[in-house]
Amino acid sequence: MSTDANHEIAVRCQGVTKTYGTGVAQVAALRGIDLDVRQGELLMLVGPSGCGKTTLISIIAAILDKDGGQCKVLGHDLEQMSQNDRVRFRGKSIGFVFQVFNLLPSLTALENVAIPLLLNGVPRGRAEERVRSALDSVGLGERMNAYPAQLSGGQQQRVAIARALVHNPKLIVCDEPTSNLDHKTGQDMMDILRGVAQSPDRALIIVTHDPRILGFADRIAYMDDGRITDIIAGKHRGQLQ
Amino acid sequence: MLYIALKMLMADRAKYTGLLLGIAFTAFLVTFAAAYFSGFMTRGFALIAENGAADVWVMDAAVESVEQTINMPDSALDRIRGVEGVRYAVPLALGTVDARFPNGRFQTFQVIGVDDATLAGAPVLKDGGVPTVLRAPDAAIIDDGGTSGKLLTPVLKTDQWPHDGAHLEAAIRELAVGDELLANDQRIKVVGRSETLPRFPPRPLIYTTFANAARILPQERHLLTFVLATAEPGLSPNDLAQRIHARTGLRARASEDFKTDTVRWYLVNSEDVGDMAAMLILAMSVGFGVTGVLLYIFTYENLKQYAVLNAMGATPRVLLSMIFAQTGICALTGTGLGLGACVLVGEITAKAGYPFRMMWFTPLLGTVGVLIVSLTAAAISARPVLKLQPAVVFAGR
Ligand SMILES: Nc1ncnc2c1ncn2[C@@H]1O[C@H](COP(=O)(O)OP(=O)(O)OP(=O)(O)O)[C@@H](O)[C@H]1O
Ligand SMILES: [Mg+2]
Repeated sequence: MSTDANHEIAVRCQGVTKTYGTGVAQVAALRGIDLDVRQGELLMLVGPSGCGKTTLISIIAAILDKDGGQCKVLGHDLEQMSQNDRVRFRGKSIGFVFQVFNLLPSLTALENVAIPLLLNGVPRGRAEERVRSALDSVGLGERMNAYPAQLSGGQQQRVAIARALVHNPKLIVCDEPTSNLDHKTGQDMMDILRGVAQSPDRALIIVTHDPRILGFADRIAYMDDGRITDIIAGKHRGQLQ
Repeated sequence: MLYIALKMLMADRAKYTGLLLGIAFTAFLVTFAAAYFSGFMTRGFALIAENGAADVWVMDAAVESVEQTINMPDSALDRIRGVEGVRYAVPLALGTVDARFPNGRFQTFQVIGVDDATLAGAPVLKDGGVPTVLRAPDAAIIDDGGTSGKLLTPVLKTDQWPHDGAHLEAAIRELAVGDELLANDQRIKVVGRSETLPRFPPRPLIYTTFANAARILPQERHLLTFVLATAEPGLSPNDLAQRIHARTGLRARASEDFKTDTVRWYLVNSEDVGDMAAMLILAMSVGFGVTGVLLYIFTYENLKQYAVLNAMGATPRVLLSMIFAQTGICALTGTGLGLGACVLVGEITAKAGYPFRMMWFTPLLGTVGVLIVSLTAAAISARPVLKLQPAVVFAGR
């Protein structure tokens, strides 16, 4: 593709395999994945349940070990890193958005969003400023001191998005970020992800089942049975250039 | 992140309160048990404690405590007085006698016969009087020794020493100066009531002179149970004890050592103390178990949150410090509450006459006990946190 040269590669997977379990319980979750994700793009990963989407982004996000193949993320070969380095790499360079939000229930929105900064050693006072602006950018500036239980699902997911981008990571991975939300809220969430989270030096990988949000993708990778079967350009393709 | 750890800890008020109460209860239990035990043991060596002037206790070679004794030949006293470095040496007779009250009832007493000349070891009277009253013929000072309602005599003269058999149901009052008892057909004249250290096990006491003790105790060839020696200035009790032992072959122990000996003797020989210790250990184990399990459950329930933190970049070290901070806060706060409660309840218990004695090591025991249990629980609950697969964060629930 001609545009490849214009965009640096954020993630490059070559022949990645992953098998769970042993013996008869063995499941080949990934059977050789080749995939590039470019900086600045929003890539959606779609496919039937059990095809290995979560497994793939877990490996890319450095929270799961692959069995075979190569995987370079933001220029780092994950295999070469020590366990501790990988944890720090995640803390610095990757943002997470989960299907079930995974906010810490005992912390306010502000405190939840502050976690990545605190983990990166930003002092609390300085962290708070950045948290405020992150929450403002997802439209929750007014609810900073609310606890997750006091927020709607959509609001919780917006807090989660603020948390995923507050420390300015180069890669954000989202596993079905809209599937616990109604259609309208899901669309709002995608608007926010596109409008706030996406930037020229950041890649977004979004796993989804939801065909109604495919329109937000720059590219769509189709998976089936542990393989990438097809990669197509999304509607937003044009906007990147 | 410590701030976040503490917020996690206190988020669930009910659970946090339960955790604190569990730990406070354990700290309370351990400290209270230790203090109660110290109290009992203090009562067990009351006789040694009240003879503060004695540096060294000398006894038959086989005697190991003040509770179980056998007497020495009377000549031992002179042999001990002959050891150089002994400034004074006075005899002490211990024995048990059943004495009758004027209405015909009887009671077992411990007889403590003190040196006739110096009256060393005789108690001060309740009304502040001096023990020289013991110099009168047949005189004895009576002490309840930690019992109550056991020293009673008929109100009416007509009920005392009646000729028509015992007046067991006659109206009674507390034994007082001027009353008389009979032991082995010998008269005992009460010349005072004292209130010395309570005994364990509790028992009424008769303090009298050595000579008088010989008169009222059942006939025995030897009467000398202990010799209490005081050292010349500059000589340590331990050195004197060693010297006496070397010269006489008798067992000689510095007072403090003899207290320890007595405590050890109780631990080894007294079934009551053994039962008590077993009960307390059981109670402590329950307390420890509850605390440990509560702490473990707390961490286990938050496992998913730790996984999320780990995914977002919290290293195992950060997670561990969070867990230990949570545990430490719980343990310290809980212990503080427990010790506070223990001091309050102990004060009341001691006022009510129970053997409660807060010694320097009792709160320490409670604190160390709780800390060990908490840290163990934290270490055990840290295991699943360290073995976390961060990938679980993507799981649906
Ligand atoms: N921890 C695990 N142990 C064993 N097998 C697993 C584990 N995680 C996933 N699998 C299996 O690996 C395969 C791929 O799972 P994965 O979760 O990656 O699929 P998915 O595409 O994300 O599915 P879904 O759309 O339902 O989330 C499935 O067959 C699944 O059962
Ligand atoms: Mg999945």
